[in-house]
Amino acid sequence: MEIIVSITVGLLVAIGIWMLLDRGLLRVVLGIVVLGNGVNLAVFSAGRLDGRAAAFVTEAGAPALAANPLPQALVLTAIVIGFALFVFALAVLKRSWELHGNVETDRITAVAEEPAPDLPAPAQSVTPTSGVAAAPQAAGASPAPGVLPATPAAAKATRHGAAAGGQA
Amino acid sequence: MLASISLIAFAMLAAVPLAARLGQRAGWLLALAPLAAFIHFLSQMPTVAGGDVITSTLAWVPALGVELAFRLDGLSLLFALLITGIGTLIVLYAGAYLSDHHHLGRFHAYLLGFMAAMLGLVLADDLIAMFVFWELTSVSSFLLIAFQHDKAESRRAALQALLITGGGGLALLAGLILLGNVGGSWQFSGLSGEAIAGHALYPAILTLVLIGAFTKSAQVPFHLWLPNAMAAPTPVSAYLHSATMVKAGVYLLARLNPALGGSTSWSTILITIGAATALVGAVLAIRQTDLKRVLAYTTVTVLGQLTMLLGTNTHYGLQAFTIYLVAHAFYKAALFMAVGAVDHATGTRQIALLGGLMRHMPLTGVAVALAAFSNAGLPPFFGFIAKEFKYAGLIELGLAGWITTAVMILTNALLLTAAGVVFLRTFLGKEGRYPHAPHEVSLPMWTGPMLLAVGGFVFGAFNNLAEVWLIDAAVQAVSRTAVPVNLYLWGGFTPALLASLLTVTLGVFFYLQRTRLRRRLSLWRVLWRVSGDRVWDRLLKRVFAFATRVADRFQHGSLRQHISWLVLAIAVCALIGMAASTADDLVWPEQTSPLNIAALLGCVLAVAGAAAAATMPGRVALVATLGASGLGMAMIFLAARAPDVAITQLMVETLTVIFLALVLRKLPPTRLVGSRNPAARRFHAIVAIVLGSVVSAMMLMTVSQPLPGDIAQWYLDNSLPAGKGANVVNVILVDFRALDTLGEILVVGLAGLAAAGLLAGSARAGGRPGSAGFDPADGARHPARAGSTPDCPEAFDGPASPTSQGSADFASVLLRQAILPLSGLLALVSLVLLWRGHNLPGGGFIGGLVAASATVLLALAFGVARARAVLRVSPVVMLAAGLALAAGAGVMGLVQGEAFLTGNWIFPGGLPLGTPLLFDVGVFLTVLGAVLHMLLRLIGQED
Repeated sequence: MEIIVSITVGLLVAIGIWMLLDRGLLRVVLGIVVLGNGVNLAVFSAGRLDGRAAAFVTEAGAPALAANPLPQALVLTAIVIGFALFVFALAVLKRSWELHGNVETDRITAVAEEPAPDLPAPAQSVTPTSGVAAAPQAAGASPAPGVLPATPAAAKATRHGAAAGGQA
Repeated sequence: MLASISLIAFAMLAAVPLAARLGQRAGWLLALAPLAAFIHFLSQMPTVAGGDVITSTLAWVPALGVELAFRLDGLSLLFALLITGIGTLIVLYAGAYLSDHHHLGRFHAYLLGFMAAMLGLVLADDLIAMFVFWELTSVSSFLLIAFQHDKAESRRAALQALLITGGGGLALLAGLILLGNVGGSWQFSGLSGEAIAGHALYPAILTLVLIGAFTKSAQVPFHLWLPNAMAAPTPVSAYLHSATMVKAGVYLLARLNPALGGSTSWSTILITIGAATALVGAVLAIRQTDLKRVLAYTTVTVLGQLTMLLGTNTHYGLQAFTIYLVAHAFYKAALFMAVGAVDHATGTRQIALLGGLMRHMPLTGVAVALAAFSNAGLPPFFGFIAKEFKYAGLIELGLAGWITTAVMILTNALLLTAAGVVFLRTFLGKEGRYPHAPHEVSLPMWTGPMLLAVGGFVFGAFNNLAEVWLIDAAVQAVSRTAVPVNLYLWGGFTPALLASLLTVTLGVFFYLQRTRLRRRLSLWRVLWRVSGDRVWDRLLKRVFAFATRVADRFQHGSLRQHISWLVLAIAVCALIGMAASTADDLVWPEQTSPLNIAALLGCVLAVAGAAAAATMPGRVALVATLGASGLGMAMIFLAARAPDVAITQLMVETLTVIFLALVLRKLPPTRLVGSRNPAARRFHAIVAIVLGSVVSAMMLMTVSQPLPGDIAQWYLDNSLPAGKGANVVNVILVDFRALDTLGEILVVGLAGLAAAGLLAGSARAGGRPGSAGFDPADGARHPARAGSTPDCPEAFDGPASPTSQGSADFASVLLRQAILPLSGLLALVSLVLLWRGHNLPGGGFIGGLVAASATVLLALAFGVARARAVLRVSPVVMLAAGLALAAGAGVMGLVQGEAFLTGNWIFPGGLPLGTPLLFDVGVFLTVLGAVLHMLLRLIGQED
């Protein structure tokens, strides 16, 4: 049985990672669930699956070949925490859909990212000006111009819930 | 000792509020803390001078043998007195100097923080503790240099100082760790010199530690940061960059002299680098036109000389080292403070503009005079004794000694010139051209320089005082063997005296010829083109450009690439770990439990459901297949004899489906599966398969070993007698490992609060931008079949509002009437599950989830308002009450004097009641509250 369960774990993890790499953020969130299921099963079966009786003791003592109670307790809490994490991820997904109108994994960063408050507007390119004082400053500016939104104005418009035509 | 550090740290915390209240006068109050520490150390002077050592320890990381050990011997007492004494004067001075600065409180806080860190540095006996304080001084120095952060040069100087001293700190850490391992002890006092000297790693340790010390003490080639640090306000320059922080490197070398010193490499390196530093500093000092920079370069010179003296390791050399340390601290701090006073009063520091200040600022002038005489090394000042002993120490060395003596004479002569410039040119002579009309400064600003300058005179004239109380014990702490300490002003016509006379003559000559000297030096323009500063700037620019290129490669903002690389790295590490653990190939489990049909079906269902969820495009399909996958998991758990886990999985799966369905109504239809680019799809598939195979292999390897230990048996045996429960899993959760469960419900509560805030959202204002095919009136699209009942006439008026009427899909009267008793039954069942959980399958988690389902049914059928009315308390209150109850159940154990969360039981009428049951109720309430909070917000906002 352990062999079958190990293979199941591997399959669940693979499917979970495949979903995490999906193009739509919804499947990414569901991938978390599947991955969590796989890991829970892994922890559970690490306690060995050769139990014949559930872990309930009586006055006479523990039953012979009782199932290992410790991984069961750990997995129980893991399931509940995984559920809380899933709902939180779902909430973030819903919110980013409401704010930015976009649930594509590749585009959500560009759409949702706010420019750093202490930097100049990202439309300017990073040019090291002459003089020693500017060197650390210019270098401190953002390294990847491609990451920042091209038009912060449009990002702001969607953020403040402008009319239903607002697109990023 | 820890008390004095804590006192100063406390003053640091109080600085900002005090300064906000009292303004400039806060300085007087704050100076009391270092003053108290100073008096404390003074009181320890008799003990330490007698040869004893005071220690105190605080355990920190017992497993690694690291502890917060403090040791007060001669050297640390010397430094501690310098730090706290000069610190008191500086705090007072700073209050007056920066009196109109709006961030004065912050300045005091940084200063006191630095003082605490420096004090910890010199008092620490433990290697790692000393390093922590070392880095803290670097950080506070950065904050202080960048205090006027609106000026670009301050920022640049601060960054330069931090990078150089921080980089040196890294090397120092490596060196200290090696030293601790090789030397046999993690304390300075326990290091064994012979073991270290003979070890093969000695050169490495020496290099690393020396790099650390040299960066901190501004030796060549790391000296560039010190003159640039003059961009800081003058109190900072007077305290950190002359008297205390820069001496930290030299202090470390002195502290390690018994352990690392004595070898020829140590002496050679120290003497060479020290001599080079002294020369560079002295020559550059003459070229400066700003008084502060003159003093900065002379500090570099003196640090070089101190290093040289330490390297000589002779009797006179070590005495000279200690004496010069004290003398320099006194006169340099006094000079810096006076220069700051001059700047404050006249508005300029340029030598060309100054002159004839003595009649305007007599008190400061006298202080500068005394300090300058000590700087120049004229009798009977302390600086003179230092100079004599310096020469005596070097001459002892023989031929190498004569060469270095020549260097020493030259640099001392130049120091005398610099002292002359600072005093004669500034205070005597004809009147200069001042931006402001000069006036004498306030009491706090001239007290400091005066006290220190007079101290230099007193120590020199009454040198017996210094010898007995300070110098003797300090020298013994530094040297490898016992050294007879004897200070004197007049020792007869020794070569040292001749050298002193030569120095004075040369110095006076240089002073009189200084313009011609400066012109000659500037002719060597070739050298000045290779300015360390410009090299630094170019280096920094290249480093940042390289960092940008690397960051561009890895921080591209694409979530999928991040995950892919992360997963591949994990797989590689796991493979390496597996390969390293067993010599042969994958170990196949020999003994496996028999095939269980139910578990097999569960596995198939779980995998099939997950695979379908991964590939099918519709929303309903997603929800259904995910639910099926969860059911498969529950079947596996049931088949493996884990009823509690199975029920939890079932309930969680139910609620997952509900949440998913409610949220999916708001999202666009999902048609996208996988990536558009086929190559990317293949890559993602490969990544997934790789990790899956690695995890499978790891699992197989794990289960092929026998399960180590017998903790499962322990839990089974002790559950009923100690935990008073037959359900071992539940007893583990609420009794044996209750602390983990407490943390876990805290996480659930936090996630619930956070998610609820997001789920409520701003649905009213522009909630759904973009995406076609989405109708906000979705819920009302089926009024004709479901909503048309005579009992609910409101359904005809348009889309039914779920907040008040329940979702329109549930508008069937049959359904509504049936749901009421069903909810009630479910609520009852949840309470039964909670009650019986300790002995039969059930418990707080399961009960909470079932109760949540009951309430959700009510909310969907009758509306959120009704459901909230039935609940009577808000879910957040339930959540909080649950957490409080769980924590309170634990506190009851504390009250009895036992550990937190110890179970206490009473047996009224044979019924076992105890704190773990209370804990379970807390868990129930928390889970119920969190889930309901999220769900009711989510349902309630769709209208």
